Amino acid sequence: MSTQITLTSSDGVDVSVDRAVAERSVLIKNMLEDLGDSGEAIPIPNVSNRPFPCLGCVYYVRTSSPPSKSNGDDDDNRRKTTDIDEWDQKFMQVDQEMLFEIILAANYLDIKALLDVGCKTVANMIKGKSPEEIRKTFNIQNDFTPEEEDQIRRENEWAEE
Amino acid sequence: MPPAMPQTPHKDDLEETWSFLEAGINSVMLKLEEGVDMKTYMALYTAVHNFCTSQKAVASNQGLQAHRGAHLLGEELYKLLGEYLSRHLSVVFKESQGHAEEALLGFYIREWTRFTTAAKYVNHLFSYLNRHWVKREIDEGKKNVYDVYTLHLVKWKDDFFEKVHGKVMDAVLNLIEKQRNGETIEQSQIKSIVDSFVSLGLDENDSKKSTLEVYRQYFQRPFIDATRTYYENESRQFVAENSVVEYMKKAEARLDEEKARVGLYLHPDVAKSLTETCLDVLVTAHSTLLRDEFQILLDNERQEDLARMYRLLSRIKEGLDPLRTTFENHVRRAGLAAVEKVASEGDHFEPKLYVDALLQVHTRYQNLVDDAFNGESEFVRSLDNACREFVNRNRICKATTTKSPELLARYTDSLLKKGSKAAEESELEEMLVQIMTVFKYIEDKDVFQKFYSKMLAKRLVHVSSVSDDAETSMISKLKEACGFEYTNKLQRMFQDIQISKDLNASYKDYQDKVLDDDDRKRMVDAHFQILGTGFWPLNPPTSDFAAPVEINKTAERFQKFYFDKHNGRKLTWLWQLCKGEVKANYIKNTKVPYTFQVSTYQMGILLLFNETDTLSYSDIQKATTLVPEILDPNLSILLKAKVLLASPEGAKPEPSTTFSLNYNFKNKKIKVNLNIQIKSEQKVESDDTHKTIEEDRKLLLQSAIVRIMKSRKKMKHVQLVNEVIQQVKSRFPPKVPDIKKNIEALMEKDYIERLDGDEISYIA
Repeated sequence: MSTQITLTSSDGVDVSVDRAVAERSVLIKNMLEDLGDSGEAIPIPNVSNRPFPCLGCVYYVRTSSPPSKSNGDDDDNRRKTTDIDEWDQKFMQVDQEMLFEIILAANYLDIKALLDVGCKTVANMIKGKSPEEIRKTFNIQNDFTPEEEDQIRRENEWAEE
Repeated sequence: MPPAMPQTPHKDDLEETWSFLEAGINSVMLKLEEGVDMKTYMALYTAVHNFCTSQKAVASNQGLQAHRGAHLLGEELYKLLGEYLSRHLSVVFKESQGHAEEALLGFYIREWTRFTTAAKYVNHLFSYLNRHWVKREIDEGKKNVYDVYTLHLVKWKDDFFEKVHGKVMDAVLNLIEKQRNGETIEQSQIKSIVDSFVSLGLDENDSKKSTLEVYRQYFQRPFIDATRTYYENESRQFVAENSVVEYMKKAEARLDEEKARVGLYLHPDVAKSLTETCLDVLVTAHSTLLRDEFQILLDNERQEDLARMYRLLSRIKEGLDPLRTTFENHVRRAGLAAVEKVASEGDHFEPKLYVDALLQVHTRYQNLVDDAFNGESEFVRSLDNACREFVNRNRICKATTTKSPELLARYTDSLLKKGSKAAEESELEEMLVQIMTVFKYIEDKDVFQKFYSKMLAKRLVHVSSVSDDAETSMISKLKEACGFEYTNKLQRMFQDIQISKDLNASYKDYQDKVLDDDDRKRMVDAHFQILGTGFWPLNPPTSDFAAPVEINKTAERFQKFYFDKHNGRKLTWLWQLCKGEVKANYIKNTKVPYTFQVSTYQMGILLLFNETDTLSYSDIQKATTLVPEILDPNLSILLKAKVLLASPEGAKPEPSTTFSLNYNFKNKKIKVNLNIQIKSEQKVESDDTHKTIEEDRKLLLQSAIVRIMKSRKKMKHVQLVNEVIQQVKSRFPPKVPDIKKNIEALMEKDYIERLDGDEISYIA
């Protein structure tokens, strides 16, 4: 038995999800707890439509697949590795802009598992790359002067090898 | 049309953000009953989120403390929230000053509920702050930073609770006192206060855990103090105006009441110290008074009050110890008095009377211990001590402790002998159980054993046991109490009788085969019992006896049969235990001839008169070869029963008397029992038994000494004595000088020798 909850994104799109799915967001869970379900659409002012439907459906699908990872017990383990299972990897195969929006949304809505997956995906993008490659990947300008760069390199010499 | 989404403030403007938040918090704190709409809720959460994630704020934060990793925002919000709460609480405090007593409690609870409910909301609204800034601060070990909900509690405690707890507690204590005085109060108020105090206990190290510190200090302590004072006064006054019995009822009721109080509205943590305090004030403080009443209650057999006293005093430390001594003395006195009463009725009382007296006292106090003292083991021990004392040392056994076991054995005998009054088997069994109760207390168990085996022997030989089952039951009870060795001989005696039965049967077959017609005509119908010398407490006859020819023939025939079966055994005829029946065909005044039940000795005398009607004393003595000590009393019996007539008339059996058969013998019964035990015999028997006991004890001691030395080889004298006492005390309480004497005796016999020092060694 599940109630449907309507969420309204910042750009005014309504999405209907199971309450159990919506409550993967601690924010929504708390609010429903505090105010009760009035049946009104819940405004999500910080999340636009683009990642939004994903948030809804991803966790809908995830809850119907084996919930092994969604259990909080192995939280620490899960966070320490950068391994992402195949399903999640596929899900995160989106453009960079989208990926960051998902991360921001997960952070805002307080959906821990999704936030972790998102951050891991970013971490995997960094792993094994040189600073130059990282800059390229994320389109970051190098704002260090050559002197500064030199100093940093010397300071971190011990970490090379 | 739902209200429009409130405009969230600019995320990098602290002032704007805060005033937006403050308005929201205010409505949660003060007007929650009006409800918070969803859009405001989301807007407030978003405002906190946006502020904490604003880029500009990072830049504007000039502190740039050496954080590891990214700097997190939120400190300002946290501070402002704290300040807001302090402001709110100072208003609450001001308002609280207008209230006192119950109104104050009502106010406190109302404000507390409002505040904590709001705290839950605010905590959720600020959850982004909790998750990031607060979490980082706590992870870095900062003190005095709490999650938002805990911040509320801390503020409540510091800014409100600290100022009002005294007044609040006074009100609570007044309320409780009212209830103790019998008024009805609103208990839920106190319950709420307790809950609030408990909530305020925060663990310094982990704000998610709570401790009972605050509750203990501000609630429990004053509550316990008040309780102590209240009951000190109450009990002092009550005792002055009422009897001790009344006081005990009161105290018990109060203890129950306080126990219930914990369940009703106090924290379970208080239970232990509350009970302790109440016991201390209500029981310990008056324990002397209670104990002084104990003897009076015992004297009046106030079982219910005794039970109450037991319950009260059992709850305080060492509360019962003095009672045990009193109880023990009381039971002992009761036992001695009961014996005294029996003794006052003269020397010749029924053993039953004595045993019943002992049992009565035991039963009465056993019941008291069970019902009033909960069967507590220490009281059972006191009862046992007292019983052991009065069973073994009372007026009747003043001279020697061996009197009790003797009387007990006699009583047992009277129950197990045919013709006892306890006809019902179950009733008999119950009485045997009671006998074992007394038996347990008997110190000289060997004496009981002696007398018991004597009497058992008699019952078996004379076939006068009430039933084999009852005998077996008693033996197995004794075996259970004292072990196999104790009842070994008794069991063997029992077996002998069974074996004899079979033997008689096969003797009958044998007889049928070997007897000729002539023999058959003169045959005496006989039953034989073969008793093993070592097991039966019986002695060979003290006098020669020439058995009558008829008997002799039968005896010889049996002997031949027996020796054929068991070569090399020796049979001694215990004539003094044999008996038989003779028919008096010479008396003509009845249709059916009289039958005399006689001992073999009497038979020997009477059968002489088959040949002649008159015999002189010396004729009889010569023919029977009986010694005068046995002949005279038996003749006396025959004279007394008028079977024989003395001449000169009325003469006693002595060498000058002649005896003649009384042809005019008359008796109401056809069967006349002449086989009566002679009084002097009984006395001699008892003395003999006591004498053999001394002898047996010597042997028991010596065998114990040898047994110990054989296994230890070398031992100190003192140790040996102790060991011996340990080994034999289940039979009788040995005296140290006796043990020493027997050690000396064994040295003389070269079983053991004295070494240097105080050591003794075994000579193999």
